[in-house]
Amino acid sequence: MITGEQKPIDEIREMISPYKRILVLGCASCVAECAAGGEKEAAMLASTLRIAAKMRKENVLIKEKTLDRQCVRDFIISLDDIIGKYDVVLSLGCGAGVQAVAEIFPEVPIIPALNTGFLGETKDQGYWVESCLGCGDCMLYHFGGICPLARCSKQLLNGPCGGSMDGRCEIDPDVECAWHLIVDRLTKFGALDRLENIYPPKDWSRKQGKGPRKIVREDQ
Amino acid sequence: MTGEQKRTLALYYCQNVPASGEKERQDLEEKYRKSIRLFPLPCSGRLETVHLLLALEEFADMAYIITCPEGECRYSEGNKRAKKRVGRTRAIIAGIGLEEERIGIIIGSKDNQMSLSDYASIAMENALKLPSSPVHSRP
Ligand code: SF4
Ligand code: SF4
Repeated sequence: MITGEQKPIDEIREMISPYKRILVLGCASCVAECAAGGEKEAAMLASTLRIAAKMRKENVLIKEKTLDRQCVRDFIISLDDIIGKYDVVLSLGCGAGVQAVAEIFPEVPIIPALNTGFLGETKDQGYWVESCLGCGDCMLYHFGGICPLARCSKQLLNGPCGGSMDGRCEIDPDVECAWHLIVDRLTKFGALDRLENIYPPKDWSRKQGKGPRKIVREDQ
Repeated sequence: MTGEQKRTLALYYCQNVPASGEKERQDLEEKYRKSIRLFPLPCSGRLETVHLLLALEEFADMAYIITCPEGECRYSEGNKRAKKRVGRTRAIIAGIGLEEERIGIIIGSKDNQMSLSDYASIAMENALKLPSSPVHSRP
């Protein structure tokens, strides 16, 4: 899941201030799961903005709508019938959602209401943790299903730093030491010998540095 | 505290609060006329931040939630959840310059059981301590 958090309300109000007809656009996928941009959050933000506008006697129209996915063309085109009624879209999708809507409706400004965060997991109600950096060359097999790039504070690929205490990371004792977990898991599966390999520094060219990454599938 | 009140209050309440049946609701509505709008909930945990915001946006000077006493929620965590949502709503309205006291919570007490009508009086007294909401332009 892609996580996000709502921007400060003052920043949002500043960005929408030139506009009179505003569509607050939620996304019912990842950002709904992390309670930042789903139907409920779109309703809350729209109501908050209407309250703020009424307090200041500003004459604005603010409505909300939520798409199943804001990053998929088939869902975005459903805005075709209504988008003409608005001067601006305030998107609660992640950065990909904002740009996807902007590309399909180039004549309408699309403003982000979220700060897009990380690829993560829902650990508990109201608690999300980063678990993948999207490096483009997954090494989870070698590390027993625990990602040292996302979960080791020093991104070490060849064993622990030696600073962990009772299984907690020395940089942040609130998090488990990824290497402690890696060794436990590989031991459990009788696969500790995978750590005898020397892993060279990560080749980040598969993540970034060559423009946007693409996936093309002929079978789709 | 009867008849013409100068404030409008949205009162959400857990139906497990004593004397919160249909008859009591009708009596309260009669007593406060349009000053209190009552919203019974099967559990205060069903209250969402958006309910409180919409009440402030659409008609209310103040929105209150009445919960059962802590530790007594039939669904275990409902009243704790309501408390967190009240906190969240207060932070949201404070962020746009509205007094956070416009959102209130009354958590029932095990030792001093009060009826819905008692709670309504407390909430209305508190509402009258605040000026009318700047969200609604009333004469
Ligand atoms: S826009 Fe796409 S990637 Fe972004 S939150 Fe919505 S579904 Fe997820
Ligand atoms: S190795 Fe790369 S793809 Fe695999 S979990 Fe870690 S960051 Fe994500």
